[in-house]
Amino acid sequence: MQTFQDRLYHYEATPPEKTWDDIADKLYNEKVVDIHRHGKRRLIYYGIAAAASIVILLLVTLFFNNNNPSQLADNEMQFKKSNNLSSQIIEDSIKLNQQILNSIINSPQEKKEITSNNFDLGKTLKKYLTIEGPSGEPVKISPKVATLILYADNEYPPKPIWSNEIKKWQKIMLNTTVSPTSTNLLDMVTSASNNNIE
Amino acid sequence: MIESGNYIPSESDLIKGCIIGDPQMQKMLYQIYSSKMYGVCLRYSENVDDANDILQEGFIKVYKNIGKFRSEGSFEGWIRRIFINTSIEHFRKKIKHHNITEVQENTVEDDRVDVFDSLSTKEILRAINQLSPGYKAVFNMHVIEGYSHKEIADILGITEGTSKSQLARAKGILKKILGNEIKN
Repeated sequence: MQTFQDRLYHYEATPPEKTWDDIADKLYNEKVVDIHRHGKRRLIYYGIAAAASIVILLLVTLFFNNNNPSQLADNEMQFKKSNNLSSQIIEDSIKLNQQILNSIINSPQEKKEITSNNFDLGKTLKKYLTIEGPSGEPVKISPKVATLILYADNEYPPKPIWSNEIKKWQKIMLNTTVSPTSTNLLDMVTSASNNNIE
Repeated sequence: MIESGNYIPSESDLIKGCIIGDPQMQKMLYQIYSSKMYGVCLRYSENVDDANDILQEGFIKVYKNIGKFRSEGSFEGWIRRIFINTSIEHFRKKIKHHNITEVQENTVEDDRVDVFDSLSTKEILRAINQLSPGYKAVFNMHVIEGYSHKEIADILGITEGTSKSQLARAKGILKKILGNEIKN
């Protein structure tokens, strides 16, 4: 004999005849399609919302990165440090240059050589001038250039040979169409000689 | 429900047909399971109208979710679970009117119900239908479907203790209703 639980578990009853028609109506009419459409539309909205959130997040991140006060302060400090360092180097170079120039100017031997235009090339000049390079780095140059600097500054009565040479180079530099670099000096000279610059 | 001489497809063909939305297969599935599921609906619902609504809603759910069926248990069991859940949802909608009393009492768990075995199915069903929806749900789920109190508590959103006390009360009420029939 079956227990009442079994009998109730397997209990069956015939549903009303029109039930299937109602189910079929719900299954195949537009309401079902509407649910799908709503689902798709909802998915599209979610997608747009997600994309917008990502864009906003990126913008906010960028904004805070750029306006981070501590980072700004750090950048400023670093800039100041490097600025101080380079200005210190330049200052030192100027001082050194001034000292070397003074020593050249005040050295009776070299003064004599400059005015007599009688450089003894065999004599080794031990001092170098330090000038500022294109990137602010110190560059050591031969002290012979010091004499050119002196003539260019007109501090001393220029010797005709030197001033003529300087004028000639100034003309070359002014008339050349080529930007001067460390590698095209000869091109410029050739160009100048072709143009008969004297 | 299925007329004699009709072609009855295999369960897997039936499922495949319903997955692709074949109307013939859908109707076939309805014909095979509607009587059984209507029995479930009648046990859980308050009246025939509610049972009809649950039956329709349940089958729509079955057709829409049949692609999720993973042949791990029986297909009928899977369908039955959908109908039980749909019945519970209906019960939840009416919960404002029939709140489950969250009172835990000292209940006698081994309150025997085998005395109902001597009664006819119709008599027991008539008695069950007199229970309030809360008692009816707990009684059906535990005694007929075999859910544990933990499962019932999770599904109905009550405590295990409440589930036990509801069951004890339901049994008590049923015994009172069916007292005369049992004696006879």
